[in-house]
Amino acid sequence: MVTGHSHLPARFSYNFNNTNFNFWDNWYDVLEDFQYAIDNADARGMPQFKGPSKIMKAYVFQQVVDCYGNAPYSDAFKGSGSITPKFDDQKAIYDSLMVLLDGAITDLRANAFTGTSSGSDIVFKGNTTNWIRFANSLKLRVLMRQSRVASRQAYVVAEINKAAATPEGFLTAGTDVKCNPGFTQSSGQTNPLYANWGYSAAGAVLALARFPRPTTFLFSQMIAIDDTFRLKRIAYAKGGENPNNSGVSTQPEILANYVGVPFGATSGYLAQNTSYIGPCFITKAGYAKDVYLMLGAESFFNLAEAKVALPGVTLSGTAKTYYEQGVKESFRVTGTTSDPATTILVNGKQLSDWSVALTTTQQLQTIWLQKWLALTDFSGLEAWSDFRRTNYPNLPASAGAPVGQALPVRLFYPNTEEATNGANVKAQGTINVFTGKLFWDID
Amino acid sequence: MRKLVLLVPGLLLLLTGLLAQKTTITGKVTDEKGIPIPGATVKVKGTKTGVAANNSGEFNLSVDAGAKLIVSAAGFTEKEVAATSNIVITLAEDNKALSEVVVTALGVKRRPKELGYSVAKVSNEELTNGRSTTVANSLSGKVSGLAVYNVNNSVDPSVKITLRGYRSLTGNNDALIVIDGLPMPEGGNGTILNLINPNDIENISVLKGGVAAALYGSAGVNGALVITTKKGSRGKPKVSYTHSTNAERLNQMAQFQNKYGSGSHYAAGFGTGGWKPNYLDRMHDNWRSYENQQFGDAFDGSMRIAGRVLQDSSRNMLPYSNIPGERERIWNTGLTVNNQASVSGGSGASTFYLSYENNLTWGIVPEDKAQRNGARFAATTETGRLKAGFNVNYVQAAYDRTTFDFYNETINQAGNIPLSTYRDWQHNKFGNPNGYYNDYYTNPYFRLDNERVKYQDANINGSAEFTLKLASWLNVNDRLSAMNNSRTQKNSVGKFIHSDYAKNLAYVPAGVDQGDGKGITRALTDFLGSVSDNINTENILNNELQLQANKDFKDFSLKGTLGFSIYDRKTKSVSVGSSSIVVPGTFNVENRLGNLSGGESNTEYRKYGYYGEVQVGWRDQVFVHVFGRYDATSKFFKQTRPTNMYSYFYPGFDASAVVTDMFPSIKGNVLNYFKLRVGYNKNGNDNINAYGLEPTYPNSGGFPYGNTVGITVGDVLPDKDLRPEFVYSFEVGGEFQLIKNRVGLDLTYYNQRSEGQVVSVTIPRTTGYGTLRINVGETKNWGYETDLKVQIIKTQRFNWDFSVRYSYNNNKINSLYKDVSEFFQAGFSYAGAFLVKGQSFPQMKAISYVRDSVGRIVVNKATGYPLNNGPLKTFGRTTPPHILGAGTRLRFDDFTLTTNWEYRGGNVMYSDLGRQMTFTGSGKWTEQRAPFVVRWYRQICTK
Repeated sequence: MVTGHSHLPARFSYNFNNTNFNFWDNWYDVLEDFQYAIDNADARGMPQFKGPSKIMKAYVFQQVVDCYGNAPYSDAFKGSGSITPKFDDQKAIYDSLMVLLDGAITDLRANAFTGTSSGSDIVFKGNTTNWIRFANSLKLRVLMRQSRVASRQAYVVAEINKAAATPEGFLTAGTDVKCNPGFTQSSGQTNPLYANWGYSAAGAVLALARFPRPTTFLFSQMIAIDDTFRLKRIAYAKGGENPNNSGVSTQPEILANYVGVPFGATSGYLAQNTSYIGPCFITKAGYAKDVYLMLGAESFFNLAEAKVALPGVTLSGTAKTYYEQGVKESFRVTGTTSDPATTILVNGKQLSDWSVALTTTQQLQTIWLQKWLALTDFSGLEAWSDFRRTNYPNLPASAGAPVGQALPVRLFYPNTEEATNGANVKAQGTINVFTGKLFWDID
Repeated sequence: MRKLVLLVPGLLLLLTGLLAQKTTITGKVTDEKGIPIPGATVKVKGTKTGVAANNSGEFNLSVDAGAKLIVSAAGFTEKEVAATSNIVITLAEDNKALSEVVVTALGVKRRPKELGYSVAKVSNEELTNGRSTTVANSLSGKVSGLAVYNVNNSVDPSVKITLRGYRSLTGNNDALIVIDGLPMPEGGNGTILNLINPNDIENISVLKGGVAAALYGSAGVNGALVITTKKGSRGKPKVSYTHSTNAERLNQMAQFQNKYGSGSHYAAGFGTGGWKPNYLDRMHDNWRSYENQQFGDAFDGSMRIAGRVLQDSSRNMLPYSNIPGERERIWNTGLTVNNQASVSGGSGASTFYLSYENNLTWGIVPEDKAQRNGARFAATTETGRLKAGFNVNYVQAAYDRTTFDFYNETINQAGNIPLSTYRDWQHNKFGNPNGYYNDYYTNPYFRLDNERVKYQDANINGSAEFTLKLASWLNVNDRLSAMNNSRTQKNSVGKFIHSDYAKNLAYVPAGVDQGDGKGITRALTDFLGSVSDNINTENILNNELQLQANKDFKDFSLKGTLGFSIYDRKTKSVSVGSSSIVVPGTFNVENRLGNLSGGESNTEYRKYGYYGEVQVGWRDQVFVHVFGRYDATSKFFKQTRPTNMYSYFYPGFDASAVVTDMFPSIKGNVLNYFKLRVGYNKNGNDNINAYGLEPTYPNSGGFPYGNTVGITVGDVLPDKDLRPEFVYSFEVGGEFQLIKNRVGLDLTYYNQRSEGQVVSVTIPRTTGYGTLRINVGETKNWGYETDLKVQIIKTQRFNWDFSVRYSYNNNKINSLYKDVSEFFQAGFSYAGAFLVKGQSFPQMKAISYVRDSVGRIVVNKATGYPLNNGPLKTFGRTTPPHILGAGTRLRFDDFTLTTNWEYRGGNVMYSDLGRQMTFTGSGKWTEQRAPFVVRWYRQICTK
């Protein structure tokens, strides 16, 4: 065993402590950059960066809340003005993010990108309309997360209707939010997924490439709805990619060769006998792939759910059209054509064919499963948050966990914050990561 | 001509001696007050005849008529008298040691009795008695309050020298090094002290505290080592040649367990299905042939495979038992060979000194080597009112070292592995990376060979000095010194691509694979090779212009200096590199794949200061010294800042009184000399890096991508009102010569109070930054120093000296920043150094486990993992309060035996190596595996 890599036994047995999963420090580091841009864009004569910076701040802050609950927001980023920032209530931060996004839309409308500064926009290349659509879809993410809290529903409906009423609307078909600063075949400049789990810049397989593998649960869910199309895009057949044939498995790409690993298993599953992360994420020499911030599919699934679960929303489409568009968007982004998507949409299985999903519960399960599948390896965090919100699909615990292990519902505040901002961390009470549910996690 | 004249009486004496007849004479030996000196030695000059005086100081002796007597006694000046009967010989007390001159701050020479602060002088003889080839190690254990910390002990050792402990919380605590008037940059101790030849040093004045070194300005706040190099002396040319060979062996290793072999946590875990209650069964299930961790089953002497089956079907079959001494055997015996020659001399008004040195070192780490070639030339001359001198030292040094952590990886391999046989990895197939047994670590000898850094230093330093006598009491003196150091460095990692078989097909044979079929697929990462070239240059220029006055009026003496000082330091470093190479073995950045990486850094720092000092002496018994300095520093300068934020004045005074001279009646057989001294001063300190006032905006990781720029807000936030620190130093002390000057005792108490130390502290990321650079409130640092020197035996042929030095140092944080009571300084998440208000610093805090009433660690009953106590627990301070040094010197004729010994204690330390050895299961403390008790923690954290 080597220290510091992914399969640490303590994590597979859910023996967490406050030194695990410290996303906090990096996120606040990045947030400071967005805050700096927001604070200085006007003075430096670059107001076009203000709106996108506010959107990205909201995007990252929601992740902070979804992992840690209460967190410094109003008192954060003050430098020496407040060296022990106070924590804000998680719900209040959520509300502040909506206001922040409104401000972002106002700024974007007022300050279009100029020809030369468009190149600096590594997400939409200066397309402010798409930025506003991203802002609205992000609002939708924030709102749908709390949509199962009864007391929040009126607010959620009103805010969705406000976003829907903007001329730009939500992300449109064929659009994902992704970025690419110009990844190139040079060490430190390749796509980060590629650099971490794939190949070195020179094309050598990385040691860690063998560690993340698709789970048996994921495969069973896909096979149950006859979805072998996306399966072959998000996984390589056992033994992984053929080093001499980029994007193609070493073994024949027949269903029998797609073997998952039970989640949390630490031994007994040889690399040559099991599947690898697939060609839609890692291909040899695919060092310049985009990094995805948000899938168009997710936005459509959120619209479908809003239509089913929140009767007051004034969205023009039907739940079915939004749902089916979501599935098609997912097929598109994994690299398959929309034809196979059409096949599973009419295959008569409740978790893929809308016409068989009759009750509200069935319809929600269908949306939730498809959203969960769509998010596979595109956004693990979003999938985890949605799972905590919906408890669907019924994910198994780690193979390394004791019998009857409860699943985590949040993360510990990292020890780094505790060491430097102790009083404010303590004020959040004793953190129990198995019972301390966030405000939007009602069951 | 003078020589001839002297010869004539000599000849006459010889002639008369031959003709004379013997008579018996009696006499008495007394001191200047008429008190008899028992035991005084009376010898007849030119013979071996001699007697010792009795208890009344009387003697009788048979001599030839006209003979001369040589009378000596410990603590008195030797005297030659004509042999006549009933002679009373009065010996003068030997105050030679007390009238010697020491070099104080800025090269000002003073007699020790005039000084109101503590100075230790280390002569060339004391410095070089161990024949160490580096100055830092030569100083270790020789001066009270001085601590030499070996940061690493490679062929380019890195050291840290502190005087009177830690004063600064996080900044520089190193003593200032001054070579012939040139202050060396902070943190550069290791480099310059590794380059200078100890034999070229005439002496070192150790100015221990802030008072002594005040005139150096900020740089002197931690005390100073003022090094004076040899300039030659008048007389016949002296040629010397010295050779020394030092061998070095590994002294101590960590303690290892020798009962268990390779294995990891493969057995079913506690609380999961299949868990086996007998720990030996679990250890058996843990065993793997390819593991670096050592949680496999107990050694049983059976033949077992190590690693996997090789491509040629061969298997590395080894006895499954510990190989004693293997972890020591992998190290080399280090060797240092030093050859040097010098010529010095002078005639008329000129002196010169010339030396050459060659030093070769082979390290204890296999393959590591270094060499140093240096030459020094110095000369002085005098003509009329002008005195001039210069010295120049040119050194080339080359180092070839591994960048790989050989120690760490070799101690973390199982005890049954014959590591030393894998040295020849090119030919031994089990040592080759394709066939090496371990899945996680490559053969350490391969990495040693493959990961190298080679660098060359070329250093030229020197000074030119002119003194013009304006009047009998007034001199003007200018000293210009300069140093240029350039280092060219190449780091390289060789390219090694593992065979396809090793990467994809090597397997553990059935039967010993513990149920994995063909073993897990191993995580071999190819070495793609890398090369990085760095060039660093450093230029320092320092000029001191002084007006020196020296005049006596009746009972009073007056000495004064007015000076102007300017210091400028420029650095530049440029690096280029590539993280992959194309043609193996060619380490040139042109031989690469992908983009060239690189960077550049430039700094310039300038400081100027005016200073003055006046010393008034009364009857050579009482001295009062007042001084002050005004400094301006570029580090705190900004156009927008008021003058007082980057320039400052600081005064001080010290006084000394030779009590035994003022009240001669207290002088006796026991007390021969007693001096009292006291000093107090303020010192300004600009202890930040150049440009430390400015926030930085570096490139974000990976950027720029082509034309896409990405800049991030730097992690460090400097407080906008950052200002220099002020340090107030006080010291009081006494110097005693006792029992006929055979016992010397020096006692000192000192304290320093710092206001507004500049500290970088870790702040929560939620502030937007990781580190805040601020002035903190107030800290204190105080302690005692005792130096005791005893001449136990002093005879003509045999001497035995003994010396003991003890120092106690403590410190405390009175206030930090705003209402903050604690800052995290550095370390790991599970153990770190903290600054805590009201306590000494740094304090170590670490994770502690929940224990029951008899000290056993409590574990979670569901998972078996130990429970920890939540917040980190305080274990104590990390710097030693007590430093005890002792030395003894035995001399018999021309043979001298010297030993030095030093103890430091009273502190705690955290050893991360201990944590790693627990992780790998190689530490001795992991040996007892039956009960589930973690014992290592207590071991490494005890006081």
